[in-house]
Amino acid sequence: MIKIHDLEKIYRTEEVETIALNKLSFQVNEGEFVAVMGPSGCGKSTLLNILGLLDDPDSGSFLFNNIEVAGFNERKRADLRKRNIGFVFQSFNLIDELTVFENVELPLIYLGVKSDERKKRVEEMLDKMQIMHRRNHYPQQLSGGQQQRVAVARAVVNKPKLILADEPTGNLDSSNGNEVMELLTDLNEQGTTIIMVTHSEHDARYSHRIIRMLDGQTVTENILV
Amino acid sequence: MLKNYFKIAFRNLWRHRVFSGINILGLSVGMTACFLIFLYVRFELSYDNFHSKADRIYRIVADIKTPTETMHPGGPSWAVGPHLMGGFPQVEAAVRTTGDELLVRKGNVKFQEMNSLFADSSFFQMFDFKLVKGNPHTALNEPLNIVFSESAAKKYFGNSDPVGQTVLLTGEGFTAKVTGVMKDIPENSLIQADMIVSMNTITRKLNPTLNDQWGNYGNRTYVLLKPGADAAAFTRQLPAFLEKMNGTEMKQLNMYPTLILEKLRDAYLRSNRNDSNSGNIRNVYIFSLVAVFILLIACFNFINLTTARSAERAKEVGIRKVVGAGKPQLIRQFIGESVLICVIAFFITLGAAALLLPSFNLLAGKTISKGIFDNLGIIGLLFLAATGIGLLAGIYPALVLSSFRPVTVLKGRFATGTKGILLRKGLVISQFTISIALIISTIIVYSQMNFMRNQDLGFSKDQEMVINSNGDPAKETFMHAIAAIPNVKSVTMSSSVPGGGNMGAYSQIQNVKGEMQIANLDLYFVDFDYLKQFDIKMAAGRMFSREFMTDTTQAMILNEAAVKQFGYRAPADAVGRDFDQWGRKGKIIGVMKDFHFKSLQEEIKPLSMRIEPTGCNLISIKVSSSHLPATIAAIENKWNTLIPARPFDYFFLDEYFDKQYRSEQRFGKLFLNFAILAIIISCLGLLGLASYSTMQRTREIGIRKVLGATVPNIVNLLSKDFLKLVAIAILVASPIAWFAMHNWLQDFAYRIPIAWWVFAVAAVLAVLIALLTVSFQAIKAAVSNPVKSLRTE
Repeated sequence: MIKIHDLEKIYRTEEVETIALNKLSFQVNEGEFVAVMGPSGCGKSTLLNILGLLDDPDSGSFLFNNIEVAGFNERKRADLRKRNIGFVFQSFNLIDELTVFENVELPLIYLGVKSDERKKRVEEMLDKMQIMHRRNHYPQQLSGGQQQRVAVARAVVNKPKLILADEPTGNLDSSNGNEVMELLTDLNEQGTTIIMVTHSEHDARYSHRIIRMLDGQTVTENILV
Repeated sequence: MLKNYFKIAFRNLWRHRVFSGINILGLSVGMTACFLIFLYVRFELSYDNFHSKADRIYRIVADIKTPTETMHPGGPSWAVGPHLMGGFPQVEAAVRTTGDELLVRKGNVKFQEMNSLFADSSFFQMFDFKLVKGNPHTALNEPLNIVFSESAAKKYFGNSDPVGQTVLLTGEGFTAKVTGVMKDIPENSLIQADMIVSMNTITRKLNPTLNDQWGNYGNRTYVLLKPGADAAAFTRQLPAFLEKMNGTEMKQLNMYPTLILEKLRDAYLRSNRNDSNSGNIRNVYIFSLVAVFILLIACFNFINLTTARSAERAKEVGIRKVVGAGKPQLIRQFIGESVLICVIAFFITLGAAALLLPSFNLLAGKTISKGIFDNLGIIGLLFLAATGIGLLAGIYPALVLSSFRPVTVLKGRFATGTKGILLRKGLVISQFTISIALIISTIIVYSQMNFMRNQDLGFSKDQEMVINSNGDPAKETFMHAIAAIPNVKSVTMSSSVPGGGNMGAYSQIQNVKGEMQIANLDLYFVDFDYLKQFDIKMAAGRMFSREFMTDTTQAMILNEAAVKQFGYRAPADAVGRDFDQWGRKGKIIGVMKDFHFKSLQEEIKPLSMRIEPTGCNLISIKVSSSHLPATIAAIENKWNTLIPARPFDYFFLDEYFDKQYRSEQRFGKLFLNFAILAIIISCLGLLGLASYSTMQRTREIGIRKVLGATVPNIVNLLSKDFLKLVAIAILVASPIAWFAMHNWLQDFAYRIPIAWWVFAVAAVLAVLIALLTVSFQAIKAAVSNPVKSLRTE
């Protein structure tokens, strides 16, 4: 599903040049659950942004479903992104002004799904995440675990093929963290490909494969299953 | 999608109530001010536009050249109108009018009609003053025909049909027939009258030769040109016409008139030959400019506050982009929000304008609009304007916000660019430049008003009560009777009082070379006590005196300006010289010091005074300030006994004189109000910006406090930046305001110099206001606990 080859990303300020990704290459197949690990500053987040089509590589190739997407313009990337990719962040990133229901509904609105259909799908999803009773609450009124469940619901409501999770348990206590990991595992079992950046060995063990990075390069790959 | 936008827009507004409030309030205030000014300007531009033939109607005025000066009467001589009709094929109609005050009586009902007008018979065909009763083609055909306005007719006839009934014009002793009733003349017309009397009344009965008097002025003449006629070509034919009709007399009197056509539509705003009811195109421009400025200030606020808040909206933008929003969708969302705010402001504006309109009418001194809901078109226009402002003011913030890169903003590495900060600073500077310029202008306008009111006029206008006897034969008996009332100090009569109109007389005065020099002199008829009662000082010679028999017929007093015109270096040199004026010949017996008999806008003109009791209609009574009501009652009592036929109407000279400055006072008041509004809106913007910049620097403030900064240090830190902007604004505004006000003051013959302290006062005021606004936020931030502010990170 994802095939990157010699991917390079360099951040430049006036004086300093930082190589975030250094000729990085790997492949992720459909249905896989991959964890990316490594110390702070090793390029994990840059990688995730590029995989999520939020950022563009400086050089190298990025095949998404066998389509070369490196060099896509913003409009094309946005279009591809909203149909195929869901995001889960460490800091949840819910919109404070919208209710739980409305936050989950948002991707469907941008996809142009009709109102009745949206309502059906959002409710289905909230039910599945067991936060239906909170549908009219605002994010500030929820616990961290609940907020992350809403974020996951929002990420998967449009049935993306790929979920990118950036330290999804980083802001949660262990029991809430485990719940979220269970959720991701369920989704994976239903066929969604997942790439997750994490610092936690515990969380990484939920995945099939761990890619370890250092200074913008892959160091090792452990296959767990 | 739209629903989602609205939802989030409303919630955003609600969540940031204070800032939304500031934003909406600023915009509403700006739009309300702008809207009211728009109504005012529209009204000023509407004068005499309602006549269906307005494009073809011209007012004829004259410039008359004499050897010494050029006079600018508001109309041609009486003979011009009637003779134009036969002489020029392109003239469809000519109408002369002349104003008068007539005493009208119907049974026991009597009124002095201050707004009476004599008019030629085609008056109602030329102008669109609609007759509700009577025939517009014949209503003014016969002598002693009268058309009343609806409200005037009601005074005399109640609800009965006035047409065919008669009233008594007591002064002239005529019975006049009512031939029509017209709708009340709208306020936006230069021609104002409550009753119109046929011109034939004068030309056939009172002064049968008037239609051939080529040297007699004092009427307004309007011509209606045929469709397609060339006004300029017509004007070019007029000198030959005058030469043919009146050439000999012109040479003989050494007075050469030129006729000028003024478009009726332009006359109100662009002519300087109107009566007190005159507009000024320059004021229309000034107010339009002020309106644009106020709107700009409000829009700048809006842009400022919205972009300043962009940091807060950044996260939302990032999330929306991540879940699939494209840039166009986000631009639409943010512009939608800005339009929504403007639409809310539109409704507030509508309410505020409806509430304020009555006071604004009062302030403007006329009914510029009866109600804003009178005209749905205007409301539509305001709505369009509001949406337009929303679009325009929303574009920049929308572009900024929608171009945030989700990667950056979601990581919290977001920082507002220097470009945005520069723009905001620029906008704040322009806001304060406009506000400070308005403050400076207001101070100067008020100083000039003050100067005019307190200037020594050269005569005493206090405690002078004036009654118009309208030439009643009993006036002298009345004067003797009231002289005996205890609190009446003295009584005198004259043809004119300062601040009102006066006659101008074709005169010949012996000049310094001994020649009889021709001049048009302003003329007051007075009696013996006039100069003394008004405390007008003599520069040379003597006052009129009952001891000199010849004073009643052969004596004249000139003012210093007149003496100068005839070449005398010292006033005393003019005493004993000859005069010849309106058939009277005699000597100049004295020279009075110049006094301001017109407003201070005008230079003191040459003035002559003679004794002429029959020409003195105005009775001036110097009263003591104590027991004033009783004194007035006693005077009224005498009036009702001796002159029962006329209503008792009086005025006090000081108020009457100050009325000349009414339009300037109004101008000043309007200016003051709008200057205050501009300041308020600017401060709202500053308040919003200050609180945002403080909020953004919460962490910095915390660190500084931990490192030992005191509260004053912090306040200083936060206020300094804003005060710099205000300082720049002062530097920019001062020369602009100086230039504008320097020009404005040129209209006043007697004016104040523009003092440096005006700028200092405005500067201090602006700095204080800004400091007050900013420091409120700064102090709040400075006294907060650093632990709390550091934890917010």
